[in-house]
Amino acid sequence: MKDTELAAAIAIALAKKRNRSEIGADELLLGCLQVISRFGVVQMGSWTFDLEELGVDWLDNPERSEAKVAYSPLAVDLFDRAARIATADGSSRIRVSHLLAGFANEDEGLMGELKRSHGITSASWRAAVARAWSARFGKDMSDPQEDGSEAGDLGDYLTPEEAAKALSIHVQTVRAYVRSGKLPALRLAGERAIRIRRTDLDTVLEPLVPQT
Amino acid sequence: MAYFVVQRDLPGVTPEILKSAGMRAKTCCSEMTDEGQSVRWIRSFFLPETAQTHCYFEAASRDTVEEANNRARIPFTHITEVVEMTPDSV
Repeated sequence: MKDTELAAAIAIALAKKRNRSEIGADELLLGCLQVISRFGVVQMGSWTFDLEELGVDWLDNPERSEAKVAYSPLAVDLFDRAARIATADGSSRIRVSHLLAGFANEDEGLMGELKRSHGITSASWRAAVARAWSARFGKDMSDPQEDGSEAGDLGDYLTPEEAAKALSIHVQTVRAYVRSGKLPALRLAGERAIRIRRTDLDTVLEPLVPQT
Repeated sequence: MAYFVVQRDLPGVTPEILKSAGMRAKTCCSEMTDEGQSVRWIRSFFLPETAQTHCYFEAASRDTVEEANNRARIPFTHITEVVEMTPDSV
Protein backbone atom coordinates (compact mmCIF):
# COMPACT_ATOMS: atom_id res chain seq x y z
CA MET A 1 0.00 0.00 0.00
CA LYS A 2 1.38 3.42 -0.99
CA ASP A 3 1.73 6.16 1.61
CA THR A 4 -1.30 8.12 0.37
CA GLU A 5 -3.50 5.04 0.38
CA LEU A 6 -2.37 4.32 3.94
CA ALA A 7 -3.15 7.90 4.98
CA ALA A 8 -6.60 7.58 3.38
CA ALA A 9 -7.22 4.25 5.12
CA ILE A 10 -6.32 5.82 8.48
CA ALA A 11 -8.57 8.79 7.71
CA ILE A 12 -11.47 6.48 6.86
CA ALA A 13 -10.94 4.47 10.05
CA LEU A 14 -10.86 7.69 12.09
CA ALA A 15 -14.09 8.93 10.51
CA LYS A 16 -15.76 5.61 11.31
CA LYS A 17 -14.49 5.68 14.89
CA ARG A 18 -15.86 9.19 15.29
CA ASN A 19 -19.22 8.08 13.87
CA ARG A 20 -18.97 10.55 11.01
CA SER A 21 -20.74 10.00 7.72
CA GLU A 22 -17.98 11.84 5.87
CA ILE A 23 -14.20 11.80 5.84
CA GLY A 24 -13.34 15.41 6.58
CA ALA A 25 -10.21 17.48 6.29
CA ASP A 26 -9.31 16.81 9.93
CA GLU A 27 -9.32 13.04 9.46
CA LEU A 28 -7.31 13.38 6.25
CA LEU A 29 -4.72 15.59 7.96
CA LEU A 30 -4.44 13.20 10.90
CA GLY A 31 -4.06 10.27 8.47
CA CYS A 32 -1.17 12.05 6.75
CA LEU A 33 0.47 12.98 10.05
CA GLN A 34 0.17 9.43 11.35
CA VAL A 35 1.85 8.08 8.23
CA ILE A 36 4.90 10.27 8.77
CA SER A 37 4.93 9.89 12.57
CA ARG A 38 7.26 7.84 14.66
CA PHE A 39 6.15 6.62 18.07
CA GLY A 40 3.14 8.89 17.77
CA VAL A 41 5.19 12.03 17.23
CA VAL A 42 5.57 14.09 14.07
CA GLN A 43 8.60 16.31 13.68
CA MET A 44 8.26 18.90 10.96
CA GLY A 45 10.73 21.73 10.90
CA SER A 46 10.84 23.17 14.40
CA TRP A 47 7.34 21.94 15.19
CA THR A 48 6.54 18.79 17.11
CA PHE A 49 3.05 17.37 16.91
CA ASP A 50 1.97 14.72 19.41
CA LEU A 51 -0.76 12.56 17.87
CA GLU A 52 -2.06 11.77 21.34
CA GLU A 53 -2.57 15.48 22.02
CA LEU A 54 -4.44 15.65 18.73
CA GLY A 55 -6.80 12.93 19.92
CA VAL A 56 -5.30 10.01 18.01
CA ASP A 57 -4.52 6.74 19.75
CA TRP A 58 -1.63 5.84 17.45
CA LEU A 59 -1.26 2.38 18.99
CA ASP A 60 -4.93 1.63 18.49
CA ASN A 61 -5.78 -1.10 16.02
CA PRO A 62 -9.37 -0.21 15.20
CA GLU A 63 -11.91 -2.96 14.90
CA ARG A 64 -13.27 -3.55 11.45
CA SER A 65 -16.36 -1.46 10.99
CA GLU A 66 -19.02 -1.68 8.31
CA ALA A 67 -20.11 1.90 8.82
CA LYS A 68 -20.29 3.71 5.49
CA VAL A 69 -18.29 6.87 5.07
CA ALA A 70 -17.82 9.04 2.00
CA TYR A 71 -15.26 11.72 1.21
CA SER A 72 -16.48 15.20 2.13
CA PRO A 73 -16.41 18.00 -0.48
CA LEU A 74 -13.45 19.54 1.37
CA ALA A 75 -11.55 16.25 1.27
CA VAL A 76 -12.22 16.13 -2.48
CA ASP A 77 -10.81 19.66 -2.81
CA LEU A 78 -7.72 18.64 -0.87
CA PHE A 79 -7.12 15.64 -3.13
CA ASP A 80 -7.59 17.89 -6.19
CA ARG A 81 -5.12 20.39 -4.74
CA ALA A 82 -2.63 17.62 -3.92
CA ALA A 83 -2.89 16.36 -7.49
CA ARG A 84 -2.01 19.83 -8.81
CA ILE A 85 0.94 20.03 -6.41
CA ALA A 86 2.09 16.57 -7.54
CA THR A 87 2.04 17.72 -11.15
CA ALA A 88 3.99 20.86 -10.26
CA ASP A 89 6.43 18.63 -8.38
CA GLY A 90 6.94 16.45 -11.46
CA SER A 91 5.38 13.41 -9.81
CA SER A 92 2.89 11.16 -11.57
CA ARG A 93 1.50 10.06 -8.21
CA ILE A 94 -0.15 11.89 -5.33
CA ARG A 95 2.02 11.45 -2.26
CA VAL A 96 1.40 12.25 1.39
CA SER A 97 3.82 15.17 1.00
CA HIS A 98 1.56 16.64 -1.70
CA LEU A 99 -1.51 16.20 0.48
CA LEU A 100 0.23 17.84 3.43
CA ALA A 101 1.39 20.74 1.26
CA GLY A 102 -2.22 21.06 0.11
CA PHE A 103 -3.26 21.90 3.66
CA ALA A 104 -1.14 25.08 3.63
CA ASN A 105 -4.07 27.37 2.83
CA GLU A 106 -6.54 25.75 5.20
CA ASP A 107 -7.49 28.05 8.07
CA GLU A 108 -10.39 26.06 9.48
CA GLY A 109 -10.57 22.89 11.56
CA LEU A 110 -7.50 21.13 12.89
CA MET A 111 -5.12 22.79 10.43
CA GLY A 112 -6.39 26.19 11.55
CA GLU A 113 -5.83 25.23 15.18
CA LEU A 114 -2.28 24.07 14.44
CA LYS A 115 -1.58 27.28 12.56
CA ARG A 116 -2.76 29.42 15.44
CA SER A 117 -1.13 27.39 18.22
CA HIS A 118 2.24 27.00 16.45
CA GLY A 119 2.43 30.28 14.53
CA ILE A 120 2.32 28.42 11.23
CA THR A 121 1.83 30.32 8.00
CA SER A 122 1.03 28.90 4.58
CA ALA A 123 4.60 29.45 3.39
CA SER A 124 6.26 28.12 6.54
CA TRP A 125 4.08 25.00 6.36
CA ARG A 126 4.98 24.32 2.73
CA ALA A 127 8.64 24.97 3.48
CA ALA A 128 8.56 22.59 6.44
CA VAL A 129 6.90 19.85 4.37
CA ALA A 130 9.48 20.33 1.61
CA ARG A 131 12.36 20.32 4.11
CA ALA A 132 11.04 17.21 5.85
CA TRP A 133 10.90 15.36 2.54
CA SER A 134 14.21 16.70 1.36
CA ALA A 135 15.86 15.50 4.56
CA ARG A 136 14.10 12.15 4.39
CA PHE A 137 14.57 11.34 0.73
CA GLY A 138 17.16 13.79 -0.50
CA LYS A 139 15.10 15.05 -3.39
CA ASP A 140 11.72 16.53 -4.18
CA MET A 141 8.43 15.82 -2.44
CA SER A 142 7.65 12.82 -4.65
CA ASP A 143 9.61 10.69 -2.15
CA PRO A 144 9.29 6.96 -2.96
CA GLN A 145 10.15 6.20 -6.55
CA GLU A 146 7.50 5.28 -9.06
CA ASP A 147 8.25 1.60 -8.57
CA GLY A 148 7.49 1.97 -4.90
CA SER A 149 11.04 1.60 -3.64
CA GLU A 150 12.55 4.10 -1.27
CA ALA A 151 14.25 6.97 -2.99
CA GLY A 152 17.38 8.77 -1.91
CA ASP A 153 18.89 7.81 -5.23
CA LEU A 154 20.49 11.21 -5.65
CA GLY A 155 22.85 10.46 -2.81
CA ASP A 156 24.45 12.99 -0.54
CA TYR A 157 25.96 15.21 -3.23
CA LEU A 158 23.83 17.12 -5.69
CA THR A 159 24.57 18.86 -8.95
CA PRO A 160 23.44 22.50 -9.11
CA GLU A 161 20.48 21.35 -11.22
CA GLU A 162 19.45 18.78 -8.63
CA ALA A 163 19.87 21.29 -5.81
CA ALA A 164 17.72 23.77 -7.75
CA LYS A 165 15.01 21.16 -8.17
CA ALA A 166 15.13 20.24 -4.48
CA LEU A 167 14.73 23.90 -3.51
CA SER A 168 12.26 24.69 -6.32
CA ILE A 169 14.38 27.59 -7.52
CA HIS A 170 16.27 28.35 -10.74
CA VAL A 171 19.67 26.78 -11.21
CA GLN A 172 21.20 30.22 -11.80
CA THR A 173 20.05 31.19 -8.32
CA VAL A 174 21.83 28.16 -6.91
CA ARG A 175 25.02 29.14 -8.78
CA ALA A 176 24.69 32.68 -7.42
CA TYR A 177 24.36 31.32 -3.87
CA VAL A 178 27.49 29.24 -4.42
CA ARG A 179 29.46 32.17 -5.85
CA SER A 180 28.49 34.41 -2.93
CA GLY A 181 29.37 31.74 -0.39
CA LYS A 182 25.80 31.53 0.89
CA LEU A 183 25.60 27.89 -0.17
CA PRO A 184 28.67 25.74 0.51
CA ALA A 185 29.83 23.70 -2.48
CA LEU A 186 32.67 21.40 -3.41
CA ARG A 187 34.59 21.10 -6.65
CA LEU A 188 35.31 17.69 -8.10
CA ALA A 189 39.07 17.18 -8.04
CA GLY A 190 40.62 18.44 -11.27
CA GLU A 191 37.29 19.36 -12.81
CA ARG A 192 35.04 22.41 -13.09
CA ALA A 193 31.97 20.49 -11.92
CA ILE A 194 30.69 21.31 -8.47
CA ARG A 195 28.64 19.32 -6.02
CA ILE A 196 26.49 20.49 -3.13
CA ARG A 197 25.95 18.51 0.03
CA ARG A 198 22.28 17.74 0.44
CA THR A 199 22.56 18.58 4.10
CA ASP A 200 23.80 22.08 3.19
CA LEU A 201 20.59 23.00 1.36
CA ASP A 202 18.99 24.17 4.59
CA THR A 203 21.56 26.96 4.87
CA VAL A 204 19.68 29.05 2.31
CA LEU A 205 16.31 28.54 3.98
CA GLU A 206 15.06 30.64 6.82
CA PRO A 207 11.66 30.73 8.51
CA LEU A 208 9.36 33.55 7.46
CA VAL A 209 8.16 33.81 11.02
CA PRO A 210 10.73 33.64 13.83
CA GLN A 211 10.36 30.28 15.57
CA THR A 212 10.22 30.22 19.34
CA MET B 1 -18.39 -11.19 -10.10
CA ALA B 2 -19.44 -9.03 -13.02
CA TYR B 3 -17.97 -6.12 -14.93
CA PHE B 4 -19.54 -2.68 -15.07
CA VAL B 5 -18.78 0.49 -16.98
CA VAL B 6 -19.36 3.79 -15.22
CA GLN B 7 -19.89 6.62 -17.68
CA ARG B 8 -19.18 10.19 -16.71
CA ASP B 9 -19.56 13.55 -18.42
CA LEU B 10 -16.74 15.73 -17.15
CA PRO B 11 -16.55 18.96 -19.16
CA GLY B 12 -13.48 20.98 -18.27
CA VAL B 13 -11.88 18.12 -16.41
CA THR B 14 -8.10 18.27 -15.96
CA PRO B 15 -5.58 15.43 -15.63
CA GLU B 16 -5.19 16.44 -11.98
CA ILE B 17 -8.92 16.11 -11.27
CA LEU B 18 -8.86 12.68 -12.90
CA LYS B 19 -5.85 11.70 -10.78
CA SER B 20 -7.58 12.91 -7.63
CA ALA B 21 -10.75 10.99 -8.50
CA GLY B 22 -8.70 7.89 -9.21
CA MET B 23 -7.07 8.01 -5.80
CA ARG B 24 -10.45 8.40 -4.12
CA ALA B 25 -11.95 5.54 -6.14
CA LYS B 26 -9.02 3.30 -5.30
CA THR B 27 -9.19 3.96 -1.56
CA CYS B 28 -12.99 3.61 -1.39
CA CYS B 29 -12.91 0.30 -3.30
CA SER B 30 -10.23 -0.95 -0.95
CA GLU B 31 -12.29 0.07 2.09
CA MET B 32 -15.48 -1.54 0.78
CA THR B 33 -13.61 -4.74 -0.01
CA ASP B 34 -12.29 -4.78 3.56
CA GLU B 35 -15.88 -4.35 4.73
CA GLY B 36 -16.90 -7.44 2.75
CA GLN B 37 -18.31 -5.80 -0.39
CA SER B 38 -15.76 -6.75 -3.01
CA VAL B 39 -15.35 -4.07 -5.64
CA ARG B 40 -12.34 -3.31 -7.81
CA TRP B 41 -11.60 -0.40 -10.08
CA ILE B 42 -9.98 -1.99 -13.12
CA ARG B 43 -9.15 0.88 -15.45
CA SER B 44 -10.54 4.02 -17.05
CA PHE B 45 -10.49 5.60 -20.45
CA PHE B 46 -10.85 9.33 -21.02
CA LEU B 47 -12.44 10.44 -24.30
CA PRO B 48 -11.02 13.94 -24.94
CA GLU B 49 -13.39 14.74 -27.82
CA THR B 50 -16.49 14.30 -25.67
CA ALA B 51 -14.98 14.96 -22.21
CA GLN B 52 -16.37 11.63 -21.05
CA THR B 53 -14.73 8.88 -19.07
CA HIS B 54 -15.53 5.18 -19.14
CA CYS B 55 -14.43 3.55 -15.91
CA TYR B 56 -14.48 -0.22 -15.59
CA PHE B 57 -15.19 -1.91 -12.27
CA GLU B 58 -15.50 -5.51 -11.12
CA ALA B 59 -18.10 -6.18 -8.42
CA ALA B 60 -20.93 -8.45 -7.42
CA SER B 61 -23.62 -5.92 -8.25
CA ARG B 62 -24.36 -2.59 -9.85
CA ASP B 63 -25.34 -1.20 -6.44
CA THR B 64 -21.89 -1.93 -5.07
CA VAL B 65 -20.27 -0.02 -7.92
CA GLU B 66 -22.67 2.88 -7.39
CA GLU B 67 -21.89 2.98 -3.69
CA ALA B 68 -18.13 3.04 -4.35
CA ASN B 69 -18.54 5.99 -6.68
CA ASN B 70 -20.79 7.81 -4.26
CA ARG B 71 -18.34 7.30 -1.41
CA ALA B 72 -15.51 8.56 -3.62
CA ARG B 73 -17.76 11.48 -4.57
CA ILE B 74 -17.19 11.06 -8.28
CA PRO B 75 -20.17 12.05 -10.46
CA PHE B 76 -21.52 9.65 -13.08
CA THR B 77 -24.30 9.47 -15.63
CA HIS B 78 -24.77 5.73 -16.15
CA ILE B 79 -23.62 2.45 -14.68
CA THR B 80 -24.06 -0.48 -17.03
CA GLU B 81 -23.07 -4.13 -16.81
CA VAL B 82 -20.71 -5.15 -19.60
CA VAL B 83 -19.47 -8.43 -21.02
CA GLU B 84 -15.74 -8.76 -21.38
CA MET B 85 -14.31 -9.71 -24.75
CA THR B 86 -10.63 -9.95 -25.60
CA PRO B 87 -8.73 -11.06 -28.72
CA ASP B 88 -7.90 -14.28 -26.89
CA SER B 89 -11.55 -15.04 -26.22
CA VAL B 90 -12.67 -15.14 -29.85
